[in-house]
Amino acid sequence: MATAAQKKFIRPDGKDKVTGLGRYTADLTMTGMLHACFRYADHAHARIRSIDASRARALPGVFCVLTQDDVPDVRYGPFVEDRTLFARDVVRYEGEVVAAVAATTPEIASEAAALIDVDYEPLPVVSDVEAALRDGATLIHEGWSGYSASEDVVREGNDASRSTIVKGDVEAALASADAVVKERYVADMSHAVPIEPHAAIAQWQGDRVTVWSSTQVPYIARSGVATTLQIPEGHVRIIVPHLGGGFGGKCEFHYEAHVAALARATDRPVRLVFSRSEEFIAPDHRREGQVIELETGVMKDGTLVARRGRLILDNGAYSADAPFFPQLAAMHAVGPYRIPNVSVDASLAYTNTTPSGSVRAPTAPQACWAVEQHMDSVAAAIGMDPVELRRRNILKEGDTTATNQVLEPIGAAETLERAVELIAYGRELPEDEAIGVGCGWWPSFGGPSGAFVKLNGDGSGTIITGAQECGTGAVMALPILVAEELGMRPEDFSILAQDTDAGGWDAGASGSQTTFNNGRAVIEAAREVRAQLLELAEEELEASREDIELVDGVARVKGSPTKSVPITTLAETAQGDRLLLGKGSGSPPLTPDVDASGCTGRLGMETFAAPTFITHAVRVRVDRETGVCRVLEVAASHDCGVILNPVGAEGQVEGGVVMGIGMATLEGSIVGDDGRQRNPHLLDYKLQTAADAPPISIAFVDAPSPYGGPKGSKGTGEPPCVPTPGAIGNAIAQVTGARVHRLPMTPERVWAASHGVDA
Amino acid sequence: MSAGTYLQPASVDDALRLLAEHDGAALVAGGTDLVVGTRQGKRTLPETLVAIHRLPGLDGIAEDGGALAIGALATHDAIERSELVRGRWTALADASAIVGSPATRHVGTLGGNLANASPAMETGAPLAVLGAEVALRSAAGSRTVAVGELWAGPGRTTAAPGEMITGVRVPAPAEGSGSAYVRLEYRRSMEIAVVGAAALVTLAGDGTVADARVALTAVAPTIVRSPAAEESLRGGRPTPEAIASAAAAVHDAASPISDVRGSDAYRTAMIEVIARRAIDVAARRAGGEAVPVPATMTVGGTR
Amino acid sequence: MSHACTLNVNGISYPLQLDAGRTLLTVLRGELGLTGAKEGCDDSECGACMVLVDGRPVNACSYLALQADGREITTVEGLAKDGELHPLQAAFLDEGGVQCGFCTPGMLISAEALLRRNPDPSEDEVRLALGGNLCRCTGYQKIARAVLAAAPGPTS
Repeated sequence: MATAAQKKFIRPDGKDKVTGLGRYTADLTMTGMLHACFRYADHAHARIRSIDASRARALPGVFCVLTQDDVPDVRYGPFVEDRTLFARDVVRYEGEVVAAVAATTPEIASEAAALIDVDYEPLPVVSDVEAALRDGATLIHEGWSGYSASEDVVREGNDASRSTIVKGDVEAALASADAVVKERYVADMSHAVPIEPHAAIAQWQGDRVTVWSSTQVPYIARSGVATTLQIPEGHVRIIVPHLGGGFGGKCEFHYEAHVAALARATDRPVRLVFSRSEEFIAPDHRREGQVIELETGVMKDGTLVARRGRLILDNGAYSADAPFFPQLAAMHAVGPYRIPNVSVDASLAYTNTTPSGSVRAPTAPQACWAVEQHMDSVAAAIGMDPVELRRRNILKEGDTTATNQVLEPIGAAETLERAVELIAYGRELPEDEAIGVGCGWWPSFGGPSGAFVKLNGDGSGTIITGAQECGTGAVMALPILVAEELGMRPEDFSILAQDTDAGGWDAGASGSQTTFNNGRAVIEAAREVRAQLLELAEEELEASREDIELVDGVARVKGSPTKSVPITTLAETAQGDRLLLGKGSGSPPLTPDVDASGCTGRLGMETFAAPTFITHAVRVRVDRETGVCRVLEVAASHDCGVILNPVGAEGQVEGGVVMGIGMATLEGSIVGDDGRQRNPHLLDYKLQTAADAPPISIAFVDAPSPYGGPKGSKGTGEPPCVPTPGAIGNAIAQVTGARVHRLPMTPERVWAASHGVDA
Repeated sequence: MSAGTYLQPASVDDALRLLAEHDGAALVAGGTDLVVGTRQGKRTLPETLVAIHRLPGLDGIAEDGGALAIGALATHDAIERSELVRGRWTALADASAIVGSPATRHVGTLGGNLANASPAMETGAPLAVLGAEVALRSAAGSRTVAVGELWAGPGRTTAAPGEMITGVRVPAPAEGSGSAYVRLEYRRSMEIAVVGAAALVTLAGDGTVADARVALTAVAPTIVRSPAAEESLRGGRPTPEAIASAAAAVHDAASPISDVRGSDAYRTAMIEVIARRAIDVAARRAGGEAVPVPATMTVGGTR
Repeated sequence: MSHACTLNVNGISYPLQLDAGRTLLTVLRGELGLTGAKEGCDDSECGACMVLVDGRPVNACSYLALQADGREITTVEGLAKDGELHPLQAAFLDEGGVQCGFCTPGMLISAEALLRRNPDPSEDEVRLALGGNLCRCTGYQKIARAVLAAAPGPTS
């Protein structure tokens, strides 16, 4: 349980943010700075015949125009190296960068970008994932087989990554089931939508470049710049000012190299700031559309006996980190349930749309939306209450998953009970309201991470970390962990982070991994400092270190509180000839054994390490005549291990739930047959507003996980958006009697489903 | 975003003179449509801007011989909060209260909303059913037009170059009247009508409908009245059946398009639902029931 | 063509020469170096740029700077006085209403506009008053709580 200090924790970057004095990337300017603007593809799929930038270059105020001819001819990509910095020969989606301009003002840069003459030969546009995988479909990448790729990725033509999970005998189990339910769901593309659009500034000093970037993953951005510009990684420094949210949209290496190349070509600092419409179409990290076909066999007593699934995920035009999505989506197609016979097949189809990438719990909200609605359909088929069906099948300690992972003590069932209790499931409701329930799960991602902790001569401390704060507070809460080790107060510590020249490597604000991995690193670093302090205290107190404790800012002899020395005194003493400095990385927690011999396309997701379990129960009112839904109340119960920062954890749940409501009801991109997004702006891509968001009550199971991170914690940032859309779908179906098979479940789709209209 | 000249007249006469002198000059009041449209790349900022937001005496909301006189610079916020408007011209308060966001309502003006001539504008249908007349002035003189005559198409008005909307005059609804505006919205803030409808219902002493007017939002190139719905209501009692049947008659005037906010089929179905709700609230208000403003948040899916 | 004007921002008068097309946001962030108001969208849909002009909330991104000539402009930088956080700022920190912070300046300004007019709002009034300010991090619950906590309450 949280201590009092944890409960009243105020984040150290808070004052900078509420006063408006904190700087984000777009707030920075440099002397002599130029402004960048991109020329994007004018077609979603076309061959470039020629590019003529002479009119753009002649415009007064333009310093340079770059195309792929001006940068090293390097293909890159984390799993499949299928892309280049600028389009080479072919453009494959509307937001692909064809050229970049640097000019004295943003207006001139924009005018120059429009003056670049690009001659295209249009090619057939593939915007539908099922069409992309059909025989004879236009190949998005004709040279796909020649691309370098991770050897674990199973690829063929437009299928950029295929993964299967097979366990038991699905055919036989379906044949012997009391009831079989088969359904098909389709989820549209959606977006991360951080309120801060992408921004980057590059400045060279000699042959070294510093890039200030709104990235979630500075070390990955550093590698990307080095790889694409063919310079040593040590010559690249990435600094992240305050980061205005990310949600995955700012994961991966994006535009740092473009801006660095412009800065090098002009011998000037160059700044790029995206507009909102660019934010929608260009970055390779939108949430992918999915086609999800599910077939489930169930016995009359509610025992699930078989699940067959076929999923096609939309990769978009290039492979960012999406190649591991099929395996992840396949795990979600099974869900947090005991199902002895499983066969799931998932593909990742190239299309001429914005590339997909990890967005908060990638693949999960969409797949879970389908699976959790499907669970209610299965319950209906045997006349069982949907909560009871879940109760009888939800994973418990000792159960084996579809990949034969034997589960440690987990709180999945407890989240179900607590969520339905919080919302008073089963109570009388007005006829236009219903309560829907959804369960989900999400793995923790153990990995390398580094930190230093030092105590300064005045007794203050500094945490130097590679971790990246994206707003969640995970980095801001690291002082809680360090202070506990050293008997100091969190506010005694400053944090030096978000500078690749300072901290150790870290995977960034991604995968809910900051506390899980960097928390471990800072604790280990703090323990080194603790040992150094105890050594000093032994001399001061003439006691052995086993008898000394660090409490309330002093080192004192246990049982003799008067025999003590302030830590500030020890720090001052140390300043002369001893450095109070600790380093830490720590070994990631053990990964549970699995037997994934039934899996193909294995990219690490066959194991759900330290899985988080979630149940959301939502009360929804549906205006049957219009299809407009309003979520009135949400009860969210999470097993994310031990809670280290209650305010931060609640903030993640509340924000994730509202993101999930947005996904459920309104957030979706409409893509035309020409491959273009038709609503790349916030009036018609509608986020929930404060006036729409419901009250949210939260119950944390708050029990330690044996495979967890620090103190038995698990990943917390991504899971909160996972089961919300499915729970909302179930509530809608209960009110209207008609299930909505398309995400987002817009008013028109709810209306169409309940009025028997095609939409 | 560049514009050449910014002119700030001190009086309406000054403004009209500047408009006459500068070809292609545009008026800017709150700027919520003009500047946003420019930022979105829908248009370039005009070479000459005549900023009228400080002109004195154009932001009034007052009763004038029984009619409601609203200056072109009255903001949606001021209209929404006016007890006068809420009391007798309630449909207009229903509309002003749900324009955009609080900031839009503080800055955006009624005159600007009319001049922008969006078929999805919130205040248009209420003004149409309330029989508003728009006052236009130019250096050459002044004239008034019925509000329905102002709009020529999406984003186009019948105002001549050099003409400026100075205000709106809305006659007093007859005794026994109630009015309402309802829109279909997907969320509770920062919305624009997917479809909308305004109704004015006047009840005779015997409880029958002495007069009725219905106008529709976002289902045609401009705000349109529905004569068939109006005719259907007159003379009968405003029973649920009669209201439903009147609402079913709005299709005579509705020719919606498909766009990212909804298909034509959905809009066609919804305009009937929304018109029914608007007529219903108007009739209830006519009967003395105090249905809170804005009606959309009382009877819609976002309530 | 540039035009002379004076912007009064947070109690300081700035004489400026501005082109007609400049928005208030670009001038605040550029010439005046007040980067608290943010640019998060192209169409007045996110509210990150919110400032007060004569006490009213305005999307500075779609308001011409020259239109604010001579008026009293308050940005988030003007809320704290004499080194003391404004009650709303303190409440946002206490209640955990700040995560990435990009929407925070606009939220604070909209909340300030509300409380100046209505010192004792209901939660729904708070949520509607913040309806023009998008936040992607918090789910709004802690923000709404912070505004309620900072509200002076009924005036006697």
